[in-house]
Amino acid sequence: MSSPGAPASLVAHIALLAMISFGGVPGVLPDLRDFVVDANGWLSDREFANCFAIVQAVPGPNMILMMSFIGWKVGGLPTAIASALATFGPPCALSFAVFHFWDRFRETAWQQRMRRGLAPVTIGLVVAGGYVMAQTGAAGWPSLALTAAAGALLLLTRFNPLWFLAAGGALGGFGLL
Amino acid sequence: MGPTPAEPPTAPQPSPPPNGPRRAEGELLGHPARITLSALFLAFLEVSLLGFGGPIVWARRIIVQRRGWLSDPEFADILSLCQFLPGPNVVSITVCIGAKFRGPAGALASLLGFIVIPWTVGFALGMLFLSYAHITLLQGILHGIAAAAAGLIIATGIRLLLPHRRRPIALGFAALAFAGLAIVKLPLLIVVLGLAPLSIAAARPPGAAAP
Repeated sequence: MSSPGAPASLVAHIALLAMISFGGVPGVLPDLRDFVVDANGWLSDREFANCFAIVQAVPGPNMILMMSFIGWKVGGLPTAIASALATFGPPCALSFAVFHFWDRFRETAWQQRMRRGLAPVTIGLVVAGGYVMAQTGAAGWPSLALTAAAGALLLLTRFNPLWFLAAGGALGGFGLL
Repeated sequence: MGPTPAEPPTAPQPSPPPNGPRRAEGELLGHPARITLSALFLAFLEVSLLGFGGPIVWARRIIVQRRGWLSDPEFADILSLCQFLPGPNVVSITVCIGAKFRGPAGALASLLGFIVIPWTVGFALGMLFLSYAHITLLQGILHGIAAAAAGLIIATGIRLLLPHRRRPIALGFAALAFAGLAIVKLPLLIVVLGLAPLSIAAARPPGAAAP
């Protein structure tokens, strides 16, 4: 299914994405999907969507787990573990290195300016992540309507978002999507 | 969660100089004299296992409300740094809080608590689900969950955008980032390196006249 170099190539790509995933991991999903589904064909579109869905339904650090499942599909357990490490290792080292430095210069103008400049870009990336995942896995209009409804309810109500995931799972289970 | 040995100092001792250089921080609360490594491990284990659909919510509940280790402003400050750092935000929060209290060892203990056991549990459960993913029923359920979760991500992004709604330049850069990644399908590296410097250059410090 995948070539011998595939695991290393996947892990390197994940580590690169992790280092530039400003605003959190959802922003890397469009790029990651292109890489593993379209460019390399390691996973089908459906499998990629399944990895995304499953991590919403289990406890634990969900985006790290998603990378692990993709790693598993490409190269078994060692690749799964390496993918997890690649997701959080480099950013952790950076967080640790930056923390004291950042803390000391919190009030400075350049730092506030960086915050204000980076925020919109990271937000755009997050929305793109949701948009791409909404279309992954042969989504028809009922599925897109569910995505829109879940998003609107999160913004407009105070329900625990777990209910929306459960409702989505129920609708899908009854074959309504 | 069992009480950990050194945890409840009924009366905070006047001021044993805290180990390490955490004096720089405005010590709003008078931190518990000594937050042990095992206390950090357990706190972040709890955050991770409870953290369905939004570990940051749980991090705040547990660290600020239940443990009282940080005040809300202190937590918000760490959060704003971590939103700016790459990688899973909640992992950065874990590392920063651990480092704040106990330096490198604290960062490591918190990180291990956050990752090791929850990852193992989640991985085992997920593999179980994935091995049955071909079943039509489960396939339908997963599809529904994924569709709803995509909506939650989009809504979270929109909520984060609301404070910037009066800054047309910010909205423009958010739209460009979205379009570059989702519509044009450029690689993330190109989008980030292309837009971030321009966006920072265009941003004015909060005090300055509106852009």
